[in-house]
Parts: sequence; structure tokens; C-alpha cells
Amino acid sequence: MNEDKEKIISEAVEKALQGEMDAINNIEDRVTRSKAKAALVKAKRAKAVNDEDSIKEDDTSESKVEEKINFNQTVCQKISEKFPESIDAEQNDDWIQVKPENWLKIAKWLKSDEKLYFDSLQCNTGIDLGEGVLESRYNLHSMKHLHKVEIRIKISAEKPDIPSVEQVWRVADWFERETYDMFGINFIGHRDLRRILLPDDWEGWPLRKDYEEQETYHGIVVPKVKEGWE
Amino acid sequence: MGLLENKFTDNIIVEKLDKLLSWSRATSPWFFQFGTACCAIEMMAAAASRHDLMRIGIIPRSSPRQADVMIVAGTVTMKMALRVKKLYEQMADPKYVVAMGSCATSGGPYWQHGYHVLKGVDIVIPVDVYVPGCPPRPEALIEGLLKLQEQILEERPLTRKIG
Amino acid sequence: MGVVHGQEMVLNIGPQHPATHGVLRLQVKTDGEIISEITPYMGYLHRCFEKHCENVTYEQVIPFTDRCDYLASMTMNFGYVVAMEQLMEIKVNDRVEYIRVIMAELQRIASHLLGIGAFGLDLGAFTPFLHMLRDRERILDIFEMTCGARLLYNYMWVGGLSHDLPTGFVEATLNFLDYFEPKVDEFENLLGHNKIFVERTADIGTMPAEVAISYGVTGPNLRGSGVKWDLRKDDPYSIYDRFDFNVPVGKGMKGTVGDCWDRFYVRIQEIRESVKIVRQAIDQLPKDGDVHQAMPKKIRPPKGSIYRRTESPRGDLGYYIESDGSDTPYRLKMRSPAFTALSVLNEIGAGWLMSDVLGILGSLDIVLGEIDR
Repeated sequence: MNEDKEKIISEAVEKALQGEMDAINNIEDRVTRSKAKAALVKAKRAKAVNDEDSIKEDDTSESKVEEKINFNQTVCQKISEKFPESIDAEQNDDWIQVKPENWLKIAKWLKSDEKLYFDSLQCNTGIDLGEGVLESRYNLHSMKHLHKVEIRIKISAEKPDIPSVEQVWRVADWFERETYDMFGINFIGHRDLRRILLPDDWEGWPLRKDYEEQETYHGIVVPKVKEGWE
Repeated sequence: MGLLENKFTDNIIVEKLDKLLSWSRATSPWFFQFGTACCAIEMMAAAASRHDLMRIGIIPRSSPRQADVMIVAGTVTMKMALRVKKLYEQMADPKYVVAMGSCATSGGPYWQHGYHVLKGVDIVIPVDVYVPGCPPRPEALIEGLLKLQEQILEERPLTRKIG
Repeated sequence: MGVVHGQEMVLNIGPQHPATHGVLRLQVKTDGEIISEITPYMGYLHRCFEKHCENVTYEQVIPFTDRCDYLASMTMNFGYVVAMEQLMEIKVNDRVEYIRVIMAELQRIASHLLGIGAFGLDLGAFTPFLHMLRDRERILDIFEMTCGARLLYNYMWVGGLSHDLPTGFVEATLNFLDYFEPKVDEFENLLGHNKIFVERTADIGTMPAEVAISYGVTGPNLRGSGVKWDLRKDDPYSIYDRFDFNVPVGKGMKGTVGDCWDRFYVRIQEIRESVKIVRQAIDQLPKDGDVHQAMPKKIRPPKGSIYRRTESPRGDLGYYIESDGSDTPYRLKMRSPAFTALSVLNEIGAGWLMSDVLGILGSLDIVLGEIDR
């Protein structure tokens, strides 16, 4: 390890000990950044021993949780700077709540921005929160910087419209079709939105909490009652 | 005539044509591998080297026109049920069906909340032998097929049923 | 290839074809012999897994996860259990962790054997299929000795395991590994360096790295395209950071980087690496420890949600669990690796001949139970 890197690391660790985590988060090189984080953990431990605080062994997980919280808030702030009024009122440490209107532009920016570079959409989940509210959750991940974030978008069940991001991440093509199939969320701008798992003439959105199974499908009885069962 | 005289003794067998027909059908039931889910893997394992199905005379065929037995292995869903019926109708007589696994028998572990699962394949096609298990061992499948052989041996295809 | 352009013809492959991959329907539009578009139609095995999970307790979800990817049920259980233990903040003892790693790696070997065997079978090679199934039966014997089942184990429970290792397990596993290691070289020679196989798979179905990442392809399919991404090293869970193993990456030995032969070769190399890991784990296995020690009496996670990924033989398996404090999950979503692997078929399959399409499909190693859930 050469001298400049050592200097960068020790400076960053000093700043971070005073509470400015950004000093470490902004280091470009991945190896140096992880070494700085490890050095920070060591320094904290040493400091706490000096202060006679009891440090448990999950000190590293605490600092990991701290980093994640701070990273989440950093992304949240960046989004609200670039696209004002896109964040729904609730701010959180684990996810970011976004309004549906600007979602496509936000997604494009999240993928192309150099610092964030979320080039892979890991998972898209639909969920029925009850009382006529649906939500679509996106787990994003960056293969380059190895950080991740979760974005949630809330809509009502009467008019469930969300802009589609299948042009940004090609994997969203089938993920959104599946969410449409199970919940009925309409993705605007999707080029081929149709059912993917259920037959095309199936009625209803199965994973909603108020789903009633249809009586027959092409003459075959659907519910579980069969002759001889209770 | 001269070479073969008195070389073989007792080589004439007299038997009813009925029994001969059912014997030949029973001892070479070629199966139509209709594997949908996990039971298909056990069906493949039954046909592979350790529990060899070919030594009993049972050979896998991929086309319904060339098969006698259809082994329905795995869950049948509503989307698939219409196709199962079509495939069954494409098989030539005489044909038999073995429902392998609890999903094909009665819906299996998905009977309670499965809106898309057919609760037993006997809703759409007539079944001769049910093999329970989730998944049934290859030995259990072999036992089911041997039971099917016993059933076929008792048939009398040429005898007209009176009354 | 030929200047005569006829009309477009629409062909249908499936949903019933020889039971290697399951019930999948491919609608293929061809222009003569060359494919112009492939559309997969799924849902013939949709068994309402996610609806079931909302109505049964957390312990009862584990047999349902088995049946999704039936060729690798240990790793399906593993992924669920890792996610639940992170949500509930349970720590298990070392013996449980080592046994879980041994089972997961043996399962990886078994799954790759069947995947490669079925790939060869699709291209017409019947002998390697029988050889690989024979060796896979020996692994299934080891599993049967431990938990009683051959295919769907229900072995890993939240906070521990269902059964401890029986006596004779270590000897049986070491015997198997000593018998099996030279066989991998035999398989590589028999199938991999076979002239016909190479001509049918090299330079066919090339998948560039950016396409793979954008379509969400993970696992051996992504590593075959040259991207070194393995969750056991890059996002470690359980005790994988204590073992020393390499991550094989496709280098284009017989053709371009990212063709079908590369994906096949990555799987063969992964079998060798898994053998190494199992040997190290058996060496370091602690002698005492109760496998039921950390299991909670009743699983009631705190309110919250979690998304956790683990490495299954087909790629990144992810579980998104949302809990509302009761003893049944509020929402459980399984992000299956084969779902995204199938979505890339149109991209890499268009432009090849009819007989190449089944080879490309075989090299992706999909399991329909996982795609349709």
C-alpha cells in the first residue's frame, strides 16, 4: 500500500470519527474505500476501549447499518435535489418512497449517474397494503460500487398507474408483466403488457387480498370442493 | 423337414386368443412421458441406470401416437388441463393412464389455496392406477406399473360381454 | 445463408416435449431454417406458491420452497432460512453452518450433473446422461441417509436443521468424493471435448456481458460471459468466507466468450470447486453442537421487510419477505434466477438455426417449477 493511499485513508477515518461519513463514501477506488472502512472500525473500537465503553462484537454490523442509513439518506437527498417534489412525505432509513409521476426520469438518472450507477434491477415486488392501496417495490443494486437501495411507489387500487421502466433495465419487462398479472398494476409505456403466468382469459388479480376465485374455467370447477371432500 | 425332425419337443402351445392378446399388451407397455414437475425427475430416475425400467419392457416414447400408457407425473394446472385432454385423445386404443404423485391424484400440497391447480387429473381423463407419494420413489412407480400389468392381464378384449 | 426469402412460418415447440425442462411453450417464427423470433409462453406450472405462503405459517413455507426448484431443494431452503434468520436476528452455531454448507455444495454438484446431462441429452448424447445420473444417485443416497428423502428434503429449518448427521456420514461422503473426483475429468473428456459437441456449441448463442447484466442473468450463465460475479464471494452469507475456492469464468476456450460451450465449462469447473469446498468443510466440521439449539419455539418475526440473495446452482435466488408481526408471512416473493435466464432467450437465440435453439435453451439450464412458481 503506497503512501498517498495511506494518507487518504487516515484523513478519511479522522473525518468519519467526527461524524462525516461522506469522507469515506466519496473515495473513488473500491479497494481503498473498503480499507478505510475497516480502519474506521478499528479506530472506533480503540476509541471505545479508551473511553471504557463496552463494545460488543457486532460493532462492524453497527457501522455497516450506519453506512447503509447514511447512504440511503444520501440517495434520498440527491433525488430530491434533482427532481423536486418526487419524494413522498415519509423519509426512512431503509427505503425511499417515490411518487409515481417522475419515476421513469429518476430511473434513467439512477442508472446513468456515475456515483450511483445502479445498473441492475434485482427484484420488483408488488404488494397489497390493504384498504385499496397497492405498492410496487424495486430493489436496485450496483455491480460497480456494490451498494443497493430499495424504492417504493404507492398507488391506489382504483387507478393503479406507474410508468414502466422496461427501457432502462430490460429485466423489468417480465417483472412488470408478472406484477400486472398478479395485482393489476398498469405500467404505462410497457410495449407488451399482458398476462404471463395465468391464462389470458383468467379473471381477477389473484394476489390482492380481496381476491375471489372464479367459479369455473372452461367448464372445470376451480374451488377446492370435490365430491367426497368436506 | 429332415433337419428339424425330433429336435424340438412339445413346441405347440394351445391358448385362447384373448389371453395371448392381453399377455402381449401387458408385457410391453410403452409409456408416454408426460412429466410436468418434480415427479418427472423421479420418472427419469426410474428409467435411468439404477432402477431400470427397460428390463420390464417399458420404454419411454415422446409422441402420444406411439405410446400405450400415459404416466401423468406432476401437477396439472388449469392452463395445462385442456392440453392433457387433447394429448389423451391423440393416443391410440388401447390406452391406460397412471397418475403418479399426489399432485396428479388429488392436487397434492396445493389443494387448499391453489386457484390454478387442477385437483386431480381424473377430472379430465379416466385414470387406471394411482401411485401416491410426493414424490413417489422409483420403486413405487415400478410397483404401480406392475399393478397396471396385472390389470391388463385380466382383460379379455375379444370376449363379448353379455348382460 | 441463402438468398431466397420465403414467407414467415410460425412453429410451436411444446408445451409437451421430452421431460427435461418441463412444460414450456416456445413460439418460433422462422424464415426458412433461420429463426427470426422466439417467444416463450409460461404459466403451465403456475402453482400459486406466493398465495400459499400468505396463508401458511413460516415453518410450513419450507416444503413449498422445496418444490419450486426441485433439482436443488437444499439451496432453496438455504436461501429462505438465511433471509429469515437475518430478519429475526438469530445466530446459529458453527456445526449447523458447516453442515448447511456441505449439503448446499453437494446439492450444487447434483444439480449441475443433471443440468449438464440434460444439455447433452437435448443434443443427442445419451451416454453422458446415464453416467451422470448414476453418479447423482450416489449423492441422493447420502441425502437419504441424512434426512430420509431423495428429492425434496425439507431439511434446513429456521434456526437449525431437522436432523443431525447420522453416524457414517463423513466416511460415506469422503468415499464418494474420492470416487467422484476422477469422474469429472472423464465427463469433461466424454462430452466437453467431443468434436460433435464442440461444433454444436462453440460460437453459438453468444451472450455479451452488458446484455446479460441488463436482462438480469446471474449465476453460471453470467460467469460464462466473462463477468466474475459470485454471491458466495461478493456478498457472503453463512460461513463462505472461511473457505478457499476460485470462481470460474468463461474465457472463450473453444470459441467466443459467452457461447454455449463456455456456460457448460463453467458448470464443470464449479463441480470441481464444490468438491474442494466440501473437503474443507468436512475437515473443519466441529464435533459437538446441537442442531436444534437456536430454533425458536414459534416463529414470529418483528414487523419489517427484507430482501436477501443467495447463490443457487442457477444464479441469484432472492427472497423478499414482508412480515406484519403475526405467524404467517404478509407477502413472500421469490426472485428466481431461471425466470430472468429465460427472458434472454429471444435476444441470444434469434438468428440461429432451428437445431441450435434447443442447444441454447439447454445451456441456460432452466427449471420450470422455479419460473412459474
